[in-house]
Parts: sequence; structure tokens; C-alpha cells
Amino acid sequence: MKILEKMSSIDRRVIFLLVALAVIIPLVANIGLPSRPGKYTIEMYGFIDRLPAKSQPLLIDATYSPSMMPELQPMLKAILRHCFARKVRVMLMTLDPNGPALCEAALREVAPEYNAVYGEDYVFLGFKPGSSAVIMAIGENVRQAFPADNYGKPLSEFPMMADVRNYADIPLVVSIAGSAITQGWVIYAGTRYHASVGAGCTAVSTADYYPFLQSGQLVGLLNGMKGASEYEWLNQRNGYSTARREAGKGMDAVSIVHLLLMLFIVLGNIGYLAGRRAAQKQ
Amino acid sequence: MRSITVIGLILLGSAAALTQPMPAAPADPAPPPVQPPGLVTAMDTPNDAGNSISVDWRPSPDEAQGLVEGYVVYRSESAEAPESLWTRVGYVPYGLNQSRDQSVPENGMDFFYRVRVVSRLGASAVSQASNPARSSEQWYNSMRTNALIASLLFVAIVVYFITMAQKGQHLFVRRIAGLSAVEEAVGRATEMGRPILFVPGLSSISDVATIAALNILGQVAKKTAEYDTPLLVPNRDPVVYTVAQEVVKEAYSEIGRPDAYNHDSVFYLTDSQMGFASGVDGIMTRERPATNFFMGMFWAESLILAETGAATGAIQIAGTDAIHQLPFFITACDYTLIGEELYAASAYLARDPKLLGTLKGQDWSKALIVLLLVAGLALSLINPGVRGFILNILTVG
Amino acid sequence: MRRQIPLMLVLVLGIFFFIQFFVPSRLSTNIYQVSLQWLILISAFAIVLAIGSLVNHHLLKIKRRREHWPYSYATLAGLVVMSLLGILGRFPGLGLLDEIYYRLYLFVQAPMDAAMFAILAFYMASASYRAFRARSKEALLLLVSGFFIMLGVIPLGALIWDRIPDIAEWIMMVPNMAAKRGILFGVGLGITATSLKIILGIERSWLGGGGK
Repeated sequence: MKILEKMSSIDRRVIFLLVALAVIIPLVANIGLPSRPGKYTIEMYGFIDRLPAKSQPLLIDATYSPSMMPELQPMLKAILRHCFARKVRVMLMTLDPNGPALCEAALREVAPEYNAVYGEDYVFLGFKPGSSAVIMAIGENVRQAFPADNYGKPLSEFPMMADVRNYADIPLVVSIAGSAITQGWVIYAGTRYHASVGAGCTAVSTADYYPFLQSGQLVGLLNGMKGASEYEWLNQRNGYSTARREAGKGMDAVSIVHLLLMLFIVLGNIGYLAGRRAAQKQ
Repeated sequence: MRSITVIGLILLGSAAALTQPMPAAPADPAPPPVQPPGLVTAMDTPNDAGNSISVDWRPSPDEAQGLVEGYVVYRSESAEAPESLWTRVGYVPYGLNQSRDQSVPENGMDFFYRVRVVSRLGASAVSQASNPARSSEQWYNSMRTNALIASLLFVAIVVYFITMAQKGQHLFVRRIAGLSAVEEAVGRATEMGRPILFVPGLSSISDVATIAALNILGQVAKKTAEYDTPLLVPNRDPVVYTVAQEVVKEAYSEIGRPDAYNHDSVFYLTDSQMGFASGVDGIMTRERPATNFFMGMFWAESLILAETGAATGAIQIAGTDAIHQLPFFITACDYTLIGEELYAASAYLARDPKLLGTLKGQDWSKALIVLLLVAGLALSLINPGVRGFILNILTVG
Repeated sequence: MRRQIPLMLVLVLGIFFFIQFFVPSRLSTNIYQVSLQWLILISAFAIVLAIGSLVNHHLLKIKRRREHWPYSYATLAGLVVMSLLGILGRFPGLGLLDEIYYRLYLFVQAPMDAAMFAILAFYMASASYRAFRARSKEALLLLVSGFFIMLGVIPLGALIWDRIPDIAEWIMMVPNMAAKRGILFGVGLGITATSLKIILGIERSWLGGGGK
């Protein structure tokens, strides 16, 4: 009985140690917990999967800072892998001044895996300040917002950009963001300019976007690390990627920490109930 | 579905290189013609600062066939002006049939508008000129009448209760445990010979939660002055730092202990969110304050602060209107002021009838809102058509 | 007099900006824009005072040899080095300093920030262990809801029962949202009432007074 009672007062250092192990072990060891993609991840994946190869490019906006990298960077890489594997062209841009370095890092890692050629398979438009003003400017003409790419080369020099004027020529806009800018994409690009918009966001802000999914204003939504992990899983299952599942590993750690938390809560309650019973007997 | 249509069109090779939706350029072969938009109407944009005219038009009949790309809006001083004197003032994609010209050069002067439809295949056609329209500035925004009525009603209710309170009417205020504990918390710190830590949130001065926190700081500082207990007030925002310093200094003066005020007790740490959290954590572990106050706006650092404080064994009183952080404070603090209790705190502590009157006014206003909510809900259930009407009344322009 | 001037300013400006909200004219919007610029200017001056406070605080600590005083050198060194690198790195020919600044930010400050943020996971574990106790029926309900949410956000939840993510979503969207909105009503009125109290001069705690 004493042992049961003690369960309600486990030393916090023991909890910290176990949490640390629950995070580190899945990151080091290859656990590979099974994953079942959610409805909104499948919808997003399906939309990109149905785009014909070598068609007009889709537009990815990666607007986030380094603090959101663990959740959002694997998302960007998974979508890039999907596109490059299927030869779907990509325009990448960012509305965050911290974004260019992160976009570059993703492109440098993923493009060589698929021998994707700059200017033919993808273009990096770079950073542009102005948030919703930029989104609206693209609605008129993408060259108005980005006369040149990130490296100063005019967009007209890229063959893949020849027929791209505005959202009418962009089959999908994907907003991967850690801020409310996704709402800007939905309102301006989606509602005003009729673009199809998909989103990837941090887990904590997912609830903000459910109304847009319900109203059909978003074609799909990747929910934080879980969404990224599901996308990676779909890529692997369909043979589009053999790369290490970065978010998958992270998700293993997240899952195990959640299970550990639940275990602690159960133990705490057993201890609490045992203690209460003992007090009643006395 | 639309995207697939777009891709289909592109695959058919039908999308010509149209970089600017300008008047029809000679193309080979000539694109099929498109029908112009119908009646164009222009009017002064209501409730604005002037220099703006709103234009709307009947869409081109070809829009229903999915042939229209968008509409270009032009302005001129004369309906009969030659092509070169029409200035392009806007572009909207298909599906929209209104635009706002926000660059009208002069108020009170007649301007005319024309709308050119641009087809997906590169053809275009221009409408007839609109009626003349003059822009003007307004001195009252009629779209905000609802907000004005609600504000005045709220002020009237509050003023009524303040008057009642001043006349000596007893106003009951329920006990708020967290605030009742303030005296005890200060006393405990005094007995233990340890300082009191007060964090006025991490937000700026424009956040009303910060102002509420500074109001509470004023009350707490008066008690620390009375008991001669050391007070520590770390700050993240430079403006809040300067105001907090004044608040504490004045509180010490008011109690008649200006000499006891330590200039170094209110200090600035850093602007970095996590840097601030680590700084405050450091203060808590080194100085071991007997009581920690976390009042105002907090974000992800709330639990980091409150858990460290709990580990040092301090009594902790938190108050915030950041809904996402409330569970963390409730878990790790002894007392938590939830939402509006933060705003009621100063009145509760000061026990000033006028301040208590405002609390009563708040309660009655809330009761009124609940009543309206129930009435609105009942009406929408009886007649769903009423819903739009109610939403319209409640929308602030 | 020291009290009367700020109170008068707050009253006049408070009423003015209340009226301004309902007046869309050019003059009114221009004044509003100018006031926003003033706010930025005031913040800029306040930063000088704030840095002064930081420096003063640490110099005093060093001078009086208070506990842990050597760490104050680290704070002051960080302040000086980062400021100098950030400012000088903008000048032509000194790009190297900018690069050092960038690397210090990326490899020192960002990981320290991330580490501090990561502590949250540990604290969350220990806090939920302590807080989630089935002390009453309501607490039991909270506990069960918490379990559904935790299972709903990890892939295992859907593998156990495919309805778990839907239940988690419903809990978040319906009961959780209703409670949040209820609190928000009170918060909204509290904000308005606090502003009104300050404008009318009833609330004077921010001046150090007690409503007298």
C-alpha cells in the first residue's frame, strides 16, 4: 500500500530524467512507430499527387523563423520531395526575413536527391516584405511582387516561368507558416483571386484553421510535426522518397513523451486514490 | 476543380503569353471576341477620409462561360475623353464586380469610370463610361453607430453605479481568493526577510492587461512600502519599465516612505522572451523571493516561470487574460486571477467605492450581453433568416 | 500639479481618441497616424533608459561585490559585443563583423533560446503529473478529456481507435471553445472598463495612487 501511495509523489527530477530519455532514445534509435495519415493530410497530398508532371508550378510560401523549424522545415522538405519526385514544378518564396536561409537549406538538401534543375524544376523567389500586400500583388502579376528571383535574375529568363502570370496559372498555393499569414493567403489569394490554398502550420495554431477546412477554403492542412510525419510516410509508401523520416523521428519522440505523460498521470491517480483510501481507513 | 480547369486550359496550350491585361494586342490568330461589362456605376466611398470612389459594374455575359480573366478599371475627367486620357486605377479578377479607386486626385470634382473586360484568351472589350462621381470626406462613420450606442450604454451603466456607490450604497463584491491573499503574501515575505517578485507581464504598455498589472503593482508596492519588504520588478518592455518605476516610486511616496524606495528594485532585463524567462528564473533561484506575482500578459514562458517559482517554495499569485496560459498558472500557482479578475483586482484591493461601482457596471453589462445572446439565439432558431440581420447589426464597419 | 497634468492629459486624449474612432476624416486619420509615430519615438527613448537601467544594475552589482557578481561581466560583455558587431557590421568593408554577429546569433543565442523553450516539455510533464488528479467528478471529466486530446494528437491514437482524433477535435472545437469565449466576454468588458476608469481618472494606481 505504501508503494502505491508513493506513486503520488514521484520526485520531479525522476520525471525530468524519464522525459529526457523519452525524447533522446527515439531520436537516436530507429523506432519507427506506425503512422496513419489524417484526413486533411491525405487531402493535401492527394491534391499535389493529382497535378500533372511538368505542369504550371505550384507556389510554396515558407514563412517561419528558426524557432519553428522542427515542426515546419520537415513539412517543406516532404512537399518538395513529393513535387520533385513527380516532376511537379515549384516556386518557393518567403514573407519572413529569417526565411531565405531556411528555404535555401531545404532546397540544397532536397533538389540534388532528385536532380532537380534550378530554373526548370524550381525557382526560389526569395523574401519580400509586405505580407498581404505581396499576396495581392501576385494576384495581379507575380512579376510585380518578384521582378527577379532570390539571386537577382529576372523571372523572364526562366523557361518554367514563361506562362505564369498570376494565381490563374498557379494550380496550388501552399502556405507553410508559423504566423497568421496563412489567413492572408486564404482571404486574399483564395477568396479574392480564387486560388486553391493548402496550409501547413504549427500544432498549437491548428485549431485556428479548422473553420477554413470546414468551409472548403483550404484544400488540406498539415498539422505540425504530426502532419509532416504523415506526409513523409505517404511519400515513402508511394516510393517518392527514401530519405530519413525527420518528422517521423520527432513524432516518435512526441508519441512516447505523450504516453509517458499519461503513464505518470495514471500513476499519480493510483497513488492519490490509495492515499485517500488509507486516510479513510484511519 | 477550378485548378483542374486551369491546368486543362494550359495543357491545351490555350494560355497565350499575356503578361499585362491591357487593351487587345494584335495576335495571330485573333482571339475570339469578348462581350463588354454592362452598366458601370460610380459613387463616393462612404465613411472614409475622401479621395476614394467605389465603382461597380454588371459582369460581362461571357463570365458565366468561364471565359473571363478579370476586369481593368480606368478613370478619366471626361466621359468622352480619348483613350490616352483614361488612367488605369485598378484590376480585379473574375467573380468580383466592384473596385475602389483610392487615388482620386481631388475631392468634389467629377470623374468618370470605364471597365475593360479581359478574356482568358487575350481579347478585351471596354464598357460605356459611368455616371460622374465626386469623392468627399466624411466626419462620421455611420457603420460604427452600433459601437457608439454600445459604448455609450456601457458608460451610462458604469457611471450610474459609480454614482450609486458615491451615495454610499453598499455594493457586494464576491471574495477573490487570490487577491485576499495579497496581504498575507506580503506579510509572509516580511516575516521571512525575503523579497517579493512582481512580473508585470511580457507585453507592451498598449496592452490593457499590462496597465491592469501596473495598477496591481501600485497596490502591492504600497504594502511593501508599509512593511519595508524588498520588492523586485523585472521588465521586458522598455516603456513598461519606465512606467513601473514611476508607479513604485509614487506608491512609496504616498505611503510616506520615499526614503525606503530602492531605485534598483525596478529594472530592465531583456527584450528576448526566453532570455527574460531565464533571467527571472535565475532571480527566483538566487534571491528566493517569498512571494511571486505574475500579472499581465504571458505567453509560452508562463509555465517555465511558475514551475521554477513553485520549486523555490514561494507563494505564487498569477493573473492573466491569456486564455492559453491560464491552465499552466492554475496548475503551478497557489492563486490565479482568471481573465476579468485581473481587471477587477485594483478595485478589489483599493476598496474604493468608485472603483467598485465600475465592477458592478461591468457585471450588469455582461448580464445584458448574455440576455441579448439568448434572445438572438432564440430568434435565429425560430426564424433562421433573422441570423443575417442580427450579424449585420453587430458588425462594426 | 504632478498628478493633475497626467490626469488631464489622459482625460483629454482618451476622449479625443474615442471620438476619433468614429470620425473618418483626413484630419482625424492623420492625427491618429502621427500619434502612432509618437509611440514609436517614445519607445526608442525608453530603450535608452532601459539599457541604462541594465548597465547600472550590473555595474552596481560589480561595485558592491554582490553575490554572483562576476556573471555581471558576462552580461555587460554580451551587450557591448553584440551591439558593436551589429552596428559596425553594416559599414562597407566590415562584412566579417556582420558574419560573426550572424553566427553568434545562430549558434549561440538561437540554441540558448531553444533550450529554454524546450524546458517547457519537462515542466509540462511534472505539472500535468501533479494537476491531473481525479479529486472530483469534474476533475475526472477533465482527466478523461485530457487523455482523448493527448491520444488524438499522436498517431497511436488513431491506431487504437480511429474515432479518437475526431473526439479530440470535437473537445477542442466545442466545449473548449465555448469556455474560452465565455472568458473572453469578461476580458473584453474588463478591458473597456479599465480604459474607462483611467480616462475618467477614477483609477489612479498607475500613478502610484490608490484611487483617492
